[in-house]
Amino acid sequence: MAFRYRLEILAITAVLVFSALFLYTSSIMTEAEFAGSDTLGSTQIAEMTGKAEEEYVPLIWQWVPPSGEIESALFALQAAIGGLMVGWVFGYWKGQKKKSA
Amino acid sequence: MHIMEGFLPLYWALFWWIVALPCLVFGVYKLRKVLEADREALPLLGVTGGFIFILSSLKLPSVTGSCSHPTGTGLSAVCFGPWITSVICAIVLLFQSLFLAHGGLSVLGANIVSMGIVGPLVGWGVYRLLRDTGVNMYITVFLAVALADFFTYVMTSLELALAYPAEVGGYVSSFILFLGIFAITQVPLAIVEGIVLTLVFKYIVALKPDILLRLKVFSEEKINAARGGA
Repeated sequence: MAFRYRLEILAITAVLVFSALFLYTSSIMTEAEFAGSDTLGSTQIAEMTGKAEEEYVPLIWQWVPPSGEIESALFALQAAIGGLMVGWVFGYWKGQKKKSA
Repeated sequence: MHIMEGFLPLYWALFWWIVALPCLVFGVYKLRKVLEADREALPLLGVTGGFIFILSSLKLPSVTGSCSHPTGTGLSAVCFGPWITSVICAIVLLFQSLFLAHGGLSVLGANIVSMGIVGPLVGWGVYRLLRDTGVNMYITVFLAVALADFFTYVMTSLELALAYPAEVGGYVSSFILFLGIFAITQVPLAIVEGIVLTLVFKYIVALKPDILLRLKVFSEEKINAARGGA
């Protein structure tokens, strides 16, 4: 317990190693498409059953984002909702602490 | 970890819904009880739930040359247990099936079982095993978070293997095949998620230790020891 910011350093290191690992793999695996594992799972199913992926129609009708841009906007929205909740609560706690101190 | 809409036969989709529903009902019941007992649990729920929203929206590249996303469920599983976590996950997964075409309404049950129930259950189990031992609190949280993430993907693989056994080798070889797609990709992500959420837990301990004590997340000695150092 000698150093206060051990966990912070560890987290930053982990993220850096993770990023470096990505840069390395993406440079040696030139054919890698970095597709989502969800998509790969679906492709695997299609391969195993011999039924084309397009033949797997939704059982319940589903709205599909018309483009990748719109999809990423909605993903960002999801992350923003989470970020707002986290930030709001941490601020609330911080204020509480100040008041009681 | 999403199974895409239409990729589970109707009977399997229904089966996982039947598994998921009682857990959700129990989760809602537990949630009401926890909040009735202590309104100050709500902000903590906001933080742990917030991280499920954030982390499950980040699709990160992995060593396998494909992308996957962390789940963020471990923190909530440690603080509130798997059942309440399953309710928050259900909300996130519903959002993703309605607006993002990630997962879908028929496979929502299966996705809730993997991300909302089995993953958090494993994480919570690890936490319960280690909580009252001498193991460091942060190591306990790290293991719970990383394993909750990892086992979500193991469960997805199992769900797909059950629905699509391989022609040669049946369920087992199909399970291994899907593990290759989902679980291996997930290893580095689970480790990073474990470390990052452990850091978040450290901040919760620093800012609001009393709520963790009231919810009996960790013993007073452990929390005080962590506040003294780390």
